[in-house]
Amino acid sequence: MRKGFIRKLEPFRILSNAQVEYIHSSTLEVLEKTGIKLESDRALKLLKENGCRVDFEIKVVKFPPFLVEEAIRSAPSSFSVKARIPEDDLHISPSTLYFMPAAGAKLHDERTGKLSIATLEQNNQGVRLCDALETVDFQASYCPFFELKDVKPVMLLAESQASIARNTTRVSRGAQATDSFIWEARIANAVGKQLIGTIEGAAPLCFPEDAINAAFEYMDNGFPIWATGGSVMGGSSPVTVAGASISNNAETLAAITLIQCYRRGHPVIANDFVIPMDMESGNLFFGAIGSGFHQMAFNQIYRDLYRIPTSNAMAAFPNSKLIDYQNAFEKTHLAMSAALSGASMIAFLGSVSQELAWSPLQAVIDNDSANIIGRYIEGFEINSDTAAIELISEVGPSPGSYLGKKHTRENWKKEYYVPKVFDRLSYQDWERTGKVSVIDKAKQRAEEILAEHNVKPLSDDEERQVRKILDDARAYYMKKGLL
Amino acid sequence: MSDYIQRLKDIVTDFDIDNAQAVAKEAIESGVDPVAAAAALTDAIRQVGDAFGKGDLFLPDLVCASEVLKKAFPVINEAIEKSGRKQASLGKVVIGTVFGDIHSIGKGMVATLLYAAGFKVIDLGINVKGDDFLKAVKEENADVLAMSALLTTTAMEQKKVIQGLKDAGLRDRVKVIVGGSPINQEFADSIGADAYGATAPEGVKVIKRLLGIE
Repeated sequence: MRKGFIRKLEPFRILSNAQVEYIHSSTLEVLEKTGIKLESDRALKLLKENGCRVDFEIKVVKFPPFLVEEAIRSAPSSFSVKARIPEDDLHISPSTLYFMPAAGAKLHDERTGKLSIATLEQNNQGVRLCDALETVDFQASYCPFFELKDVKPVMLLAESQASIARNTTRVSRGAQATDSFIWEARIANAVGKQLIGTIEGAAPLCFPEDAINAAFEYMDNGFPIWATGGSVMGGSSPVTVAGASISNNAETLAAITLIQCYRRGHPVIANDFVIPMDMESGNLFFGAIGSGFHQMAFNQIYRDLYRIPTSNAMAAFPNSKLIDYQNAFEKTHLAMSAALSGASMIAFLGSVSQELAWSPLQAVIDNDSANIIGRYIEGFEINSDTAAIELISEVGPSPGSYLGKKHTRENWKKEYYVPKVFDRLSYQDWERTGKVSVIDKAKQRAEEILAEHNVKPLSDDEERQVRKILDDARAYYMKKGLL
Repeated sequence: MSDYIQRLKDIVTDFDIDNAQAVAKEAIESGVDPVAAAAALTDAIRQVGDAFGKGDLFLPDLVCASEVLKKAFPVINEAIEKSGRKQASLGKVVIGTVFGDIHSIGKGMVATLLYAAGFKVIDLGINVKGDDFLKAVKEENADVLAMSALLTTTAMEQKKVIQGLKDAGLRDRVKVIVGGSPINQEFADSIGADAYGATAPEGVKVIKRLLGIE
């Protein structure tokens, strides 16, 4: 079981109980009166059987509040997910925090900021690098790269899941586009692990057929589901945090209700990915305060009222095109507010340049940041030993010193997190040793990891099965005229 | 007998401050050669100092190991004195943080590493007045004077002390090394010091070089 970070700190709450209730009851009203579009006849029939009012013509479902509240109650507050090796199994609960890398389309060059399309081998290396980083508990889907030079776009998700199966023993997430879930679920089963499946909305208030089919397939395989709306504030949801909270919550609860109607008690993690629109360009405004407020409210509602674990994906992407101060700040303030407000999972490591790029060096740097953010929620011990009252008396006023005390020797490593790549040299040492930056150090560490870190390989039989699944996928897409 | 030699080494490498004095006493009482006992302790602290230099051990380890020596050495030194023999030393270093400055950590590291390397170290502490440095250099017949200053405002104190050495006719008898975060080679040269050490391990190397020890 991966330890992740164990929450001792009480989560930070930004809403009053009355505000939580207001958002919840408003969400129920949207679900009952406006409804959600579900582009799947199978889903429409299922919900109709469970008491929803369904307009099959326009595919809109209106949910009775009792059904939604029943679904909330039936979703478990914690659950386990099986990895390739038991040490990497996850236990997702309100008291555990896990980190995962972000995905980027292309490979980032740390010197120039230029982007290039990665090869499958570079993708394998990126996955293997993440496997060596201790804060990576979970591998995101189509991660690190979602464009690969030597892979046709329609095969990307299947090839990516195979690359993950071969190069990390962690649990990973399955995707939903173009029937990829068929191959992704088969690959996971072949290598003896579970995925976290997915249902991702197409806001406002809509789930496309691919997403719903993926959820059914993953549920049939017994995989937990990552349910997410995912709107752009001012575009596909109201621009206000309160309005976006209600519309996004309606989407997420619709997905949870669908899941619970299909399999009562099926594990779900509610993901929040709501980003304001940049009103100068129409782009996503990454690193924005609106995302921070949104996820904090989301985490509070799901934790306190629904008792369903949450994931937050807004800290995954910076606007910055470089490994620099802006990159660190945009991601860190969101990862921090996600952690402090009770998220059980945070997408964070490696991203540069919006969703366009991933950098192994940035992942190594973010690993240090994730360690520090995680330590915040673990808090610190207060007991007679850590309080050290007798020692304070023994050392007394200046020139007394704590440095030569057993208490210091025995406790500092427990109390500190010492970053692996942040520069901590004195100015003179820094100057004398060639002015090595955090980026230089990250590069060195990434090279060391790739030279030294080995992942338990697939057995011959598992490898044969994975190859067969990829062949089947190619044949399937070829038949459909997509390859 | 060799058991005691090993135990003396172990109290240092296990950072066993609580048992240091008792083990030293037992060793001497059971007839261990005090010079061999002293050598065992310095061997062990040298090992700790080397591990610190490599980054395998940390400041609290180094200082705790030197605390072990502070507890164990008085017992052993007393036995050496009683036997009428002398302990080998690489040289005598007077060390302290200059007047107006109360930073002790960097100075303490240098003192500990010098001790570990086999020097006799007279640590005057922090906030040391110029006259006290001069007095110690003279009385102890020191080979080296090592001065630390962490503040830009107190670094000039080092210059005053060097001038004091000149005025007292002591400058040629003693090598002067300076250190501390505002100090660099240009500053050391400008105040007439013999050398500058950027880090504690480098300070020890520089002192050895000044004294012609390889």
